[in-house]
Amino acid sequence: MGLARTLIFRATTLALVLILVVFFMVIILGATGTSDKILQAMVNEEVMMLRQALAKTIKDPEELNRVLAIRKQELMEFYGLTKPWYIRLPDMAWRVITLDLGKARTLKTFAGGNKVSEIIMERLPNTIILVTSATAISALVGLIVGVRIATRVGGLLDRISSYFSAVSYAIPTWWIGIILILVFSFFLRLFPFGGLYSTPPPTDPFLRFLDMLWHAVLPVTTLVIALVGVWIYTTRTIVLNTAQEDFVNAARAKGFPEELIRRRYIIRVAAPPIITNVILGLATSISGAILTETVFSWPGIGRLFYDAVLVMDEVVVIALTYIFTLVYVVARFILEVLYVILDPRVRY
Amino acid sequence: MAMNLRESLKEFWRLNVSKVGLIFLSMLILASIYVVASYPLDFGVRYWNNPSYWADYPKSAPPAWVNLISSEKAPEHYVLTYTKPSNITLTGTERKLSYIFEIDFQADRPPSFISFTILDITYHERPSTVKLSVLRPDMKNIEVYSFIVSGPYLGEEPPYRRYYDQPKRISITGDMLTATALSRFLYREYNVTLRPSEVNSIGQHKILFSIPVRDREFKVLKGQYIFTIDVYTYNPNDEVGEVTLVIGGEVYGVMGTDSLGRDLFIGLLFGFPVALFIGIVTSTITTLLGAGLGIVGGYLGGRVDEVIQRIADFINNIPLLPFLIFLAFILGQNIWILVFLLVVFGWPTLTIIVRSMVLQLKSGQFIEAAISIGAPRWWIMFKHIFPQVAPFIFAQLIFFTPTFILLEAALSFLGLGDPTLPTWGQILEYGFRSGGIYVGLWWWIIPPGILIIWTAITFVLIALGMEPVVNPRLRKIK
Amino acid sequence: MALLEIVGLKLFYKSLRGIVRAVDNISFQLDYGEALGIVGESGCGKTSLANAIMKTLPSNIDKYEGKILIEGVNIVELTEEEVRRKIRWKMISMVFQGAMNVLNPVIRVGLQIAEPLIIHAGMNKDEAYSIAREKMKLVGLHEELFNRYPHELSGGMKQRIVIAMALVMNPKIIILDEPTSALDVSIQAQIMNLLKRLKKELNLSMIFITHDIALASDISDRIAVMYAGQIVEIGLAEQILLSPKHPYTQKLLKATPRLRGEEKPDFIPGTPPDLVNPPSGCRFHPRCPYVMEICREREPLDFELERNWRTKCWLYGGEHG
Repeated sequence: MGLARTLIFRATTLALVLILVVFFMVIILGATGTSDKILQAMVNEEVMMLRQALAKTIKDPEELNRVLAIRKQELMEFYGLTKPWYIRLPDMAWRVITLDLGKARTLKTFAGGNKVSEIIMERLPNTIILVTSATAISALVGLIVGVRIATRVGGLLDRISSYFSAVSYAIPTWWIGIILILVFSFFLRLFPFGGLYSTPPPTDPFLRFLDMLWHAVLPVTTLVIALVGVWIYTTRTIVLNTAQEDFVNAARAKGFPEELIRRRYIIRVAAPPIITNVILGLATSISGAILTETVFSWPGIGRLFYDAVLVMDEVVVIALTYIFTLVYVVARFILEVLYVILDPRVRY
Repeated sequence: MAMNLRESLKEFWRLNVSKVGLIFLSMLILASIYVVASYPLDFGVRYWNNPSYWADYPKSAPPAWVNLISSEKAPEHYVLTYTKPSNITLTGTERKLSYIFEIDFQADRPPSFISFTILDITYHERPSTVKLSVLRPDMKNIEVYSFIVSGPYLGEEPPYRRYYDQPKRISITGDMLTATALSRFLYREYNVTLRPSEVNSIGQHKILFSIPVRDREFKVLKGQYIFTIDVYTYNPNDEVGEVTLVIGGEVYGVMGTDSLGRDLFIGLLFGFPVALFIGIVTSTITTLLGAGLGIVGGYLGGRVDEVIQRIADFINNIPLLPFLIFLAFILGQNIWILVFLLVVFGWPTLTIIVRSMVLQLKSGQFIEAAISIGAPRWWIMFKHIFPQVAPFIFAQLIFFTPTFILLEAALSFLGLGDPTLPTWGQILEYGFRSGGIYVGLWWWIIPPGILIIWTAITFVLIALGMEPVVNPRLRKIK
Repeated sequence: MALLEIVGLKLFYKSLRGIVRAVDNISFQLDYGEALGIVGESGCGKTSLANAIMKTLPSNIDKYEGKILIEGVNIVELTEEEVRRKIRWKMISMVFQGAMNVLNPVIRVGLQIAEPLIIHAGMNKDEAYSIAREKMKLVGLHEELFNRYPHELSGGMKQRIVIAMALVMNPKIIILDEPTSALDVSIQAQIMNLLKRLKKELNLSMIFITHDIALASDISDRIAVMYAGQIVEIGLAEQILLSPKHPYTQKLLKATPRLRGEEKPDFIPGTPPDLVNPPSGCRFHPRCPYVMEICREREPLDFELERNWRTKCWLYGGEHG
């Protein structure tokens, strides 16, 4: 049916984008010599470990060096360092796409392991918790306030919201996060400075949950401040435009109760363009997540990105760039599915 | 319906937001002009990122005006320099040059450190000796420190010049000789026993400015302190350049200092032209590129349009910040690379909008007329289409500027800024990374953010003022 | 008793420029099974009149008074709630201008036809749907279109849907506001035929609002000519068409091109009147070829020419008639 075809088309486009992005990343890594650097470092580290291990058995230094030289050459061939980078391209790209992300150079999982995919999977849920709660709250507030002021144009709430939206365009929300910590954690001592749990975390599961909630208040507030301005403004505009459409007046002329008109003729019709705006705001949510997690030391993939940059762990940086793109693409797709379900006009 | 320039300006001026926006903008420009005129170009490398330049500044010090509103007076920061001695005493061949510093100390807390610096000393025969002694308000005198200037090297000829490209800085704080002197002083004058190592851990600067009340407790001694630096020279031609005494305060300047002692007022000022530069340059390039591609693609159509559209679509499908981080990380932290990256990610949105505007205009009759006259394509694009979209493009330019300023600040905050060019985002980055928030260094954390917001809002206000010019439907009907 | 009687209806609303006197003292009657055409230029207040009769008022009302008697009940005095429940769509419904946009784009058309039944008459879905399908057949639409979305239908089909929607509760009166202006001429003819058929089969009373006097003449029994918020002439269709009395009506007819004959269509000089500051006296006087002194000073009264034929012009009454 029209629905399925549209979705399959969209899915293929997005998958294509993902693959292109990976190739693009791999090309940049190759062309700037970064991948060479990383692989060389890995080879050197293996050789060094081997040296320590073999030094116990091989006493003759010359023999030791000879053995190590052979091994090093083997390793270099194995990693493809003997060939130029563009030969290695497809293999690297394939590995990234299939999430075979290798080992981190310095960063570790909570338990001490260094498999990149584990490190990321440990933290991904925390980011999802943060972003979905902030988005849900912003959406709710945005919808309620947006619909309210669309029906009462020019009122007090309307003007406050416009100023707020205009101003929030100019405010770096991560700075708001910092100020919140300064005020509420340092001066007022009401909330923790950051992190997911207190140290040590409570053992009782319910108390643990409450502890996490307590830690989540400031980060979620910060993210909400980042998102809600746009939500309110776009909801208001869209609902306002929809409310002036002919079919809304027609519904009134038909004698329908105002409540039904609001639900089925205004909100329901405004839903698809509002969703479009959510899609557009997705990139903001992601960058907001990265910055907010950094400020609050919230152990999600955003904070991981910051840590990886700080300690120059290239492997994790590359992996995370891909993961973020993947998350972005998947989230977009889900929202587009929602859009197509809600708006029959875009189906083929 | 396009208006001519004069009408546009009049329409723009009508709104209050425009006036406020322009006032702010002129303030920003004035500050920037001042900075460009008075700061050296390599300010970042030579001064800001050079910790030794800030050695004599108090670290993590709130602004000096905090003293006006707090109950306890924090010690001020004293930097006293003499180029000529206060008096000279002759004893045979020995000429004692005395540099006398008087300080009326009324703070409720002792200084944060003490140091002195000798700049450019020349001797001809015997190396000079330098001594520092202090006369406290309790009329007790201590010889705190002494040293001899280094002797001639192998093969060096007189006159022997020392400390002229690198001034000699001696920190009383942390010096074991002083600790020993103070330990003896305490025992002699106050009958308090404290080992030199203990003196060192409490702090020489603290003890020098206090009276012991119990074994390890000290109360600040207020009053007049006379620091005397004596330089003993043995040849009439011996010379001393500058002698500087630094009594480290806990407050400093208009905006305080960061944990390296850097004067935040100076650093923040430098941020003005940088922010304006980044915002306006990036915005201009992005707007020109985006609009240009939009006009070309929209008007020419066909393959050219397809290609431009596909590329724009592709870029739009990439999440912005993660990729900016990735590319800045790989390609390096350089302001031009940053501008380049921001432009690359910025043009697609504008291109798509301009393209649809051009598509609408393309079917206009005046275009048909121009084509039928035989005008070449680029002529039509430049002379007919561009003026129609120009007001919108200009408004976008203004509107984009705060976006780029904020993006640069975010990237700097994550540690990817250009280290040779200090920006407000970088100041915040350092404040965050060094834990400034967790210890409440508000003067470090709040002003950079306020400045970023102020700059961004300036452009938002101007953009709001331009809306009626650009969007005819919003003009008030007279 | 007439089905619909309108006496001294006024609808003014506030705008940025002042008070718009969209409907300024209008009176007429409508009988059962009768079609009344209301003809006038754009901006003369036709749509406002439709809204006034349906009592779908905007929020910036300045004045709404007069009598609208439907079978003797004055709906001006009823509350909004009562009008909504008892009058709208049950007694009187509307076929809107520009069927392009009067249908909810995200709901299937069949359901939109059935909606009033579910909401007003409290029917369950199946009952309502079957009646909706009946109405679709009545207006000549194939049942399989029931589940389509508006954007999947042609202009003509959408207009039929809108008509079916208007008829779904078997109202006594339907108001049609430019029902064909957005359609091709051939489709227009089809719709007009449909309306004529429905009028006969259902004994429907219609108020047919249009700017096209030729179109109005196709279906109307009587015609009222509207100018600047007022009815300047009202009478039987033949009377108006063959011997128009009001100068405006005459000009309107002369402006219609004829298929046969060599007469070139005339045009009416001047611009349509401003409803905020209408001209003094007779509102048509600046454009009237027969203007007299009194026309500038005093608003003409309704002068009866014959039974049920009135005109608002000093040429036919006062000292000058």
